[in-house]
Amino acid sequence: MIPEDHEELNALAGEYVLGVLEPAQQREVQAALASNATLRDAVAFWEEQLHPLSSLAAPVDPPADLWNKIEARLDQTPQAGVTRWWNQPAPWRWATGGFAAVAAALLLYIALGGSPAAPNYVVMLHSPQQQDQTSFVATVGRDGLTIRTVAAARPPAGRAYELWAIAPGASTPQAIGVIPENGVLRVASLPPDVRLGATLAISVEPPGGSPDQHKPSGPVVFVGAVESL
Amino acid sequence: MSDAQAIGLTSTATLIEAVARGSRPALKRLYELESRRLYGIALRIVRRPEVAADVLQEAFIQIWQNAQSYSPERGAGGAWLTGIVRFRALDAVRKHGREVLSDDPRLGDEAQEPDVVERLATQAEAGALRRCLGLLDDQQRRCVTLAFVDGFSHAEIAERLAAPLGSVKSWVRRGLLALRSCLES
Repeated sequence: MIPEDHEELNALAGEYVLGVLEPAQQREVQAALASNATLRDAVAFWEEQLHPLSSLAAPVDPPADLWNKIEARLDQTPQAGVTRWWNQPAPWRWATGGFAAVAAALLLYIALGGSPAAPNYVVMLHSPQQQDQTSFVATVGRDGLTIRTVAAARPPAGRAYELWAIAPGASTPQAIGVIPENGVLRVASLPPDVRLGATLAISVEPPGGSPDQHKPSGPVVFVGAVESL
Repeated sequence: MSDAQAIGLTSTATLIEAVARGSRPALKRLYELESRRLYGIALRIVRRPEVAADVLQEAFIQIWQNAQSYSPERGAGGAWLTGIVRFRALDAVRKHGREVLSDDPRLGDEAQEPDVVERLATQAEAGALRRCLGLLDDQQRRCVTLAFVDGFSHAEIAERLAAPLGSVKSWVRRGLLALRSCLES
C-alpha cells in the first residue's frame, strides 16, 4: 500500500530513492509511480536533493573498451516508444503529468458531452512521443469504462483502433474492445485489469481487432496511465 | 550559480533531450562527460570493477532507451543519470552479493562517514543539503550516507554500525523526515 499521509509517503519515497526497501516494496513503489503523481513528485524531490551526496564517490576511469561495447548494442536496442512500451509494462519512472492536467482533461471530457457518473479514474491517452497532446480520454467508474476521442483521432483507412489494458506489473496486455468509427467506446462491465496503476493503450488493428487477444498486431499509437480522481 | 555551472547543467539536459530524439553523438558526448563520475558511483556500490563495468553498460543502454522519460523541469539531468546508475548498481549487489569491504582507499572504504559534512562543503550545489545534514544526529547522518553513497541495505548498515536492525530502520526514516523538513524550510 502506498500511504496517503504526506509524511508517510515522503518517508517511503526517500527510502525508495536510498534503495533500502525490501524488493517487494521497491517493486510496489516502482509500479505505483506511473499513476501516483504525488509519489512521483516525492521521488523526484529526493533524487534531486540527495544527488550532491553522490559526489562522495570519487570519479574513476571506466574500462577503455566500454563505450565500444555500448555502441555495439545500440543497433539492437529500440528507443522508448511503441515497441519499447510493450516490453516495459512497468517503467520505473514516467514523465510528470500531474493532477492539473487530469482535471483539465476531465473538464474537457464533460464539456464534450461525457457523463462521468461518479468516475473513479481518468486516463488521458497520448502518443508516446507527444505526451502533451491528449487524443483520447477514458473515465472509469461503477458504470464501466467510457473512452472517447478528444482530438478527432482516426485510424488509417481500412483499420480500426483497439483498446488494451495492462495491469500494474503485468507483462501481457488484455484486449478491451475495438473503438467504433465515431471514436466512442463504452464497456459496461469493468475489465479487471483496469485499476489504479494500470495502463491503457490503443493500437492500430484490422477492422475486427487483433487476432491475438493478448497482443496487439499493429503499432501502439496512444498510451496513458490510470489516474485517481 | 555561476555561468560555468549553468552551462554545464544545461548541456547535460540538452544532451539527454538529443539522445531522446535518437542522437548517438549526443549519447557518446554524454558518456565522455559523465562516465567517470557514474562509474565511480557504481564502483563504490558494487566494489568489483567488472560488475561496475556491466552496471555502467546497462545504465547507458537504459539511458538510450528511456531518455524520453527525462523531463528538464525535474532537474538538470545529473540526478536523473545518477538515479539510473544507482538503481542498476543496487540491483547488481542484491543479485550477486558484494565483496567484503576492502579498506582500499581507492574504493572509498576509509572511515570517512563522520566528515561527510566537511567533504560536501566543497560542492557548491550541496549548500542546503550540507546545512541540513549537519542538523541530523550522527547516527541518522551515517545511515543516510551509507545507504545513498555505498548502497548499503538496512542490514548492512546495522552490521557496520554494530546497531540493532530496528534502530537502523528508525534512524534512516527519522533522518529522512528531518532532512525533508529542513530542506523545505
